[in-house]
Amino acid sequence: MVPLLRKLNIFRAGKFAVAMTALLALGGGFVGVSAAAASQPVQPQTAVAGETYIIGTDTTFAPFEYRKDGELTGIDMDLIRDIAAIQGFTVEIKSLGFDAALQALQSNQVDGVIAGMSITDERKLVFDFSDPYFDSGVQMAVADSNTEVTGYADLAGETVVAKRGSEGETFANSIKDEYDFTVKSLADSATMYDDVKAGNSVAVFDDYPVLAYGINQNNGLKSVTEKEQGSSYGFAVNKGQNPELLAAFNTGLAELKGSGGYQSILDKYLEQPAPAAASGFFGLLTDSLPALMKGLGLTLLATGLSILIALVLGVLFGFFKVSESRVLRGLASIYVSIFRGTPLLVQAFFFYFGLPQLTGQSIDVLTAGVLTLSLNAGAYMTEIVRGGIQSVDPGQTEAGRSLGLSYVTTMRRVVLPQAVKIMTPSFINQFVMTLKDTSLLAVIGFAELTYQGQQIYAANFRTGETLLIVAALYFIVINLLTLLSNKLDKRFNK
Amino acid sequence: MSTSAITTTSPSSKISVRGLRKSFGSNEVLKGLDVEIDEGEVVCVIGPSGSGKSTFLRCLNKLDEHTAGTVIIDGFDLGDKNVDLNEVRQHIGMVFQHFNLFPHMTVLQNIMLAPVELKKESKADARATALKLLERVGLFEKADARPAQLSGGQKQRVAIARSLAVNPDIMLFDEATSALDPEMVGEVLQVIRDLAAEGMTMVVVTHEMGFAREVADRVIFMAEGVIVEEGTPAELFGNPQQPRTQDFLSKVL
Repeated sequence: MVPLLRKLNIFRAGKFAVAMTALLALGGGFVGVSAAAASQPVQPQTAVAGETYIIGTDTTFAPFEYRKDGELTGIDMDLIRDIAAIQGFTVEIKSLGFDAALQALQSNQVDGVIAGMSITDERKLVFDFSDPYFDSGVQMAVADSNTEVTGYADLAGETVVAKRGSEGETFANSIKDEYDFTVKSLADSATMYDDVKAGNSVAVFDDYPVLAYGINQNNGLKSVTEKEQGSSYGFAVNKGQNPELLAAFNTGLAELKGSGGYQSILDKYLEQPAPAAASGFFGLLTDSLPALMKGLGLTLLATGLSILIALVLGVLFGFFKVSESRVLRGLASIYVSIFRGTPLLVQAFFFYFGLPQLTGQSIDVLTAGVLTLSLNAGAYMTEIVRGGIQSVDPGQTEAGRSLGLSYVTTMRRVVLPQAVKIMTPSFINQFVMTLKDTSLLAVIGFAELTYQGQQIYAANFRTGETLLIVAALYFIVINLLTLLSNKLDKRFNK
Repeated sequence: MSTSAITTTSPSSKISVRGLRKSFGSNEVLKGLDVEIDEGEVVCVIGPSGSGKSTFLRCLNKLDEHTAGTVIIDGFDLGDKNVDLNEVRQHIGMVFQHFNLFPHMTVLQNIMLAPVELKKESKADARATALKLLERVGLFEKADARPAQLSGGQKQRVAIARSLAVNPDIMLFDEATSALDPEMVGEVLQVIRDLAAEGMTMVVVTHEMGFAREVADRVIFMAEGVIVEEGTPAELFGNPQQPRTQDFLSKVL
């Protein structure tokens, strides 16, 4: 343990020193950087060579990041991967969603974020930005069938939608009083476009390349205004953290711009592609099934682990609840009231984003998810166990004890066999609930079934059909498992 | 309260109760009972409902913990924290009004559970004992039945066999026939009668006055948490001294 720690410290100090040199040299341009790097015999290439960085990104911000055939692709993805290749470091991409990625960056869950993020003064307070890599702008779009709204002036009295925390939202808010409309904020582009198509909002304000890509994918919208001169996108690290990564990004970006690699990436995504031919429902099914199955696997994994842990917690605290010790009963009551008294979603956010900020210890998304679900389900299990034990006639305990059997033996041989029989249907119910609750973990970027579905419709804009497939998968799996559980229940608890 | 109370009991006392008080919250159910029961003695406890008969019985094996006084069973002070209650309880069989058979076990398993769990007997021996006991209560053929398949009288006879399986030397009966249909009362009383004849020390809380008169060596009449009067069946039933006893008997006889 000690040698390992020491090694880590030395390693960190070395990294830091190199990073500082790199930063200092940055003022003098790249010649300086390469010179500084070259003068460091310990790190042969660059300060970041051989390192692995975790990069957070949006779930779908096509054409900057989206999934194609299950793989993350887009301008941001190509850029960061090419830069990583040039600079000799490795990236692990975490597709978290925009808000979640920023929160993850602040809590040091990720080392950097590239998510089509505009460089703003506000964000500069909490993040360090790279040189701008893309000049964006906000554009307004309406439903394809809408002939009435052709400019901002037609928005009077209407509701428009923008992405939460985005430039589009800022812009919409800046003109909403002048044109007398209301701004509603949603979390991702696909949802916003659906909102407009469904008529809940009359128009959407989004970054022009994203909008252009969506329209190109037959998302059912059309743009009706010119793009507003907007800000520039930058790659961000947490304030004061990973300066060497930022430096490496800038160096790599400049190199890509010099070599023409940068332009070819832009051309690849922004050059008008031919409108994608819409495949039929079964085409969508076969295309999406591999990704959905991967998601389903994670859903079942998280459910299985959570239920097992919840069962242990439930039995433990359930016994506490029926124990004669006031302390144990109090402990169990506090546990139950905390986890039943707060929303699961808040718990998930807390364990994934809040806890790392409090402890300084980062946590991976499966651990955070399972922690959330098992503690939550454990609280309900506690009540199930308590209820089951208490529903057994007290005369049963008295009979056992009057025979000279100990409390434990009486529990084990007399009360529990009867209680388990009473509890089983509730256990099955909780199992199904927990399975469905895994879908909430999509918000912290856990790649389970719902998340995979969101990824798919975010790229192809076929929300209804995709969700239908997702729902059908849940339905089939849950009903199969319920059937199996009931069979087992009948077999063992007759 | 001291354990030295043992020395003050008469040498033949199987059960010695001194100043027994029991409260549930602010409600005092037993208001100072003094009872000595000798080995082999059959004591019937009668009285109106709510008089504390059942609570008194349950204090004898600490299903209810007494609030004050001493309860000494076979020389073991139940108020002493160092006394192994599970050990003491193996000497005291208890039969409940509602049988309390274990519904998830067969009749045989019900009877074998305690001897096997307490490691008093091997499984095979426990089985042999259980079958013998079933024969004794006339239910040999019901060994593999589930409690739900038995009549009330049969259930109570199994319950008696179950408590006999740990070979107790005291038996407590808590209104053992009160939940039975009238035609089944006789078969259960017969089993209790047989036990009495074999010399088992017994405390029987009952509403069956005829049975008490026939089987008991002594009858205790309780009302409102106190022992109002006690004596031989002939004395208590034939010539009750206290007005409350006379009043009660005039209503039930």
